[in-house]
Amino acid sequence: MTRRAPWSLIVIRLLVATAAAIAAGLLFGHPALWVIGVLAAYLGWNLYHVVLLERWLTDRKSPHPRDAPGVWGRIYAGVGRLSAGGRDKKRRLNRVLKEFRKATSAMPDASVVLNGDNEIVWINDIATDYFGVTKSDRGRRIDYFLRDPGFVEYLRRGEFERPLAMLSPVDGDVKLSLRIIAYGEDQRLLLAKDVTRERRLEKIRRDFVGNASHELRSPLTVISGYLDSMDGDSGLPESWRDPVREMVAQATRMRGIIEDLLTLSRLEASQTPADEETVDVQGLAALIRKDALAARSLCAAIELEFESDATIRGAESELYSAFWNLVQNAAKYTPADGRIVIRWSTDESGGRFAVIDSGPGIPEEAIPRLTERFYRVDKGRDRAKGGTGLGLAIVKHVLQRHGATLDVDSELGAGSAFTCHFPPGRIQAPTRSAPATTEAG
Amino acid sequence: MRTDELGHHYSRQFNEELETLRSNVLEMGGLVEEQLRRALRALVKGDSDLGEQVVEDDFRVNRMEVSIDEECSQIIARRQPTAGDLRLILTIIKTITDLERVGDEAEKIGFLSSRLASQDRPENRYKELKHLGRAVRDLLHRALDCLARLDAETALVVAREDALVDEEYESIMRQSITVMMEDPRTIGRVLDTLWVARALERIGDHAVNICEYVVYLVHGKDIRHLGDEDRVVEEIASNE
Repeated sequence: MTRRAPWSLIVIRLLVATAAAIAAGLLFGHPALWVIGVLAAYLGWNLYHVVLLERWLTDRKSPHPRDAPGVWGRIYAGVGRLSAGGRDKKRRLNRVLKEFRKATSAMPDASVVLNGDNEIVWINDIATDYFGVTKSDRGRRIDYFLRDPGFVEYLRRGEFERPLAMLSPVDGDVKLSLRIIAYGEDQRLLLAKDVTRERRLEKIRRDFVGNASHELRSPLTVISGYLDSMDGDSGLPESWRDPVREMVAQATRMRGIIEDLLTLSRLEASQTPADEETVDVQGLAALIRKDALAARSLCAAIELEFESDATIRGAESELYSAFWNLVQNAAKYTPADGRIVIRWSTDESGGRFAVIDSGPGIPEEAIPRLTERFYRVDKGRDRAKGGTGLGLAIVKHVLQRHGATLDVDSELGAGSAFTCHFPPGRIQAPTRSAPATTEAG
Repeated sequence: MRTDELGHHYSRQFNEELETLRSNVLEMGGLVEEQLRRALRALVKGDSDLGEQVVEDDFRVNRMEVSIDEECSQIIARRQPTAGDLRLILTIIKTITDLERVGDEAEKIGFLSSRLASQDRPENRYKELKHLGRAVRDLLHRALDCLARLDAETALVVAREDALVDEEYESIMRQSITVMMEDPRTIGRVLDTLWVARALERIGDHAVNICEYVVYLVHGKDIRHLGDEDRVVEEIASNE
């Protein structure tokens, strides 16, 4: 059926009705009255449908208007289609929204959406469990509820690269790891994960390494004691000399590994930041240089370059072991005709303690793995050089405890530079200004 | 900012000042909670270093009290707040006094903990003090939550729970007397632990005070020293 234009529908009906009225008027008399009557009826019918439509539009509860002849039928059908389409769309959106909500609620992590003023916009159920914040707290600031000074400071500083460790304010036994991710315009997503179990496992592992090293130390002391006395015994058969000497060397190396493991587990176990003694870097560097030269019969020249006489606030014994490991590494890999530079400089971005050598360098892919325990760049060669494989791990931990970072810069064949960056807060300006000194070794 | 709470001023700056004030008070509350947590940890773990650190850090609480006090008097002088705003300022001035006292009690616990750490620990490892401490921490935490939410109904509930803390304090007291009578050599140590219990009981009372200030802030009713709380609750409910 072809669709007729609405005006033809209306006009034809009106004309037909008027014509019928005129015909009836001619038949029964009073044609004008007949026309008026029919037009009035037509108007009334229209108004009746206007009222029906209005009532249905304003009050959704009243029934859908029935079918009507002519243009009203088409209007009803059209409106009905529109509203059904709207309902469908709404239902679809609702379903999507419900599924999205379900998905976010099922996330194993607590998540809170914050706006630019740190006010809570949306939270999931787990956030309620972890933080004690409920859905009715939307619009309130998150730091009203997470009042832990560490968190308040974290939020204020606005540097969210590192996750924050925190105890749950609801249950003090639950350890949380918090992350804040900025997205969109001024929106932030706060995610918190329960890490109680992981932390406990970590602690068990740490304790195990510490205890095992401790237990291994005593038997080893006995073995090296006997080996030492055998080594010094002139009555030892000649065929045994070399094996005993080798055993002494290996026992010494093993003791070194155990000592380093103990140092590491001690560094890991202490939660508090390093002590704040005043450490004279120049004196420390000079001492390390002397020790390093004494430890090796054949050693590259070690030069000291001081561009600053500022001191570091930190734990002297820890810094000694970190710097000693760096210099020791450099001395190990640099040929005797090479050159090692220890440089200390400061500026407004903090202090830099650098150990630069002219050794063989480190392949680029190995650099990120250097501070792993027992990681070796070149398996065959390193064993011969001795060392425990723990030196740089110790360096990393000591620096972490001082808020410092380690930068490694290396070029194959040209040498390497290990630089410790200390934050300005750890640097103490010198009380006197001395000219920079250079001491050649 | 929720418009049902503080954001009803034409002056945006005034709104912000009030909001900052409230967030500072809650921050101070967080600091005090942390001090209490560490002091109790020092006691239970026998960690004298941690105890000393709590004593050292008390100055931060005091510093915050002074600075918030100063902000409050600035606002009173410049804005002449009335009605709800005035109640907010008064509530804050009183709350920080109580929080500062809680800080002092935590400092005391820290000090006693470092002293107790050098002595023999009892077999139960201060189990009942740990329990009391947990209850008090919970009380303080919820009191501060009520302040954050301006939730007077919960505040009344929390205020009533202090009775449990008092009961537990009584029972620790009785137990300690028995222990001291059985073995007079423990008197020195037990007296110290009694001081800790006393400090915890006091903290509970301060938490109750904070709850009462919240009721005052929300309803404008002073419910201190009334005793007959049920009547007040009914009255408040009928005002809703």
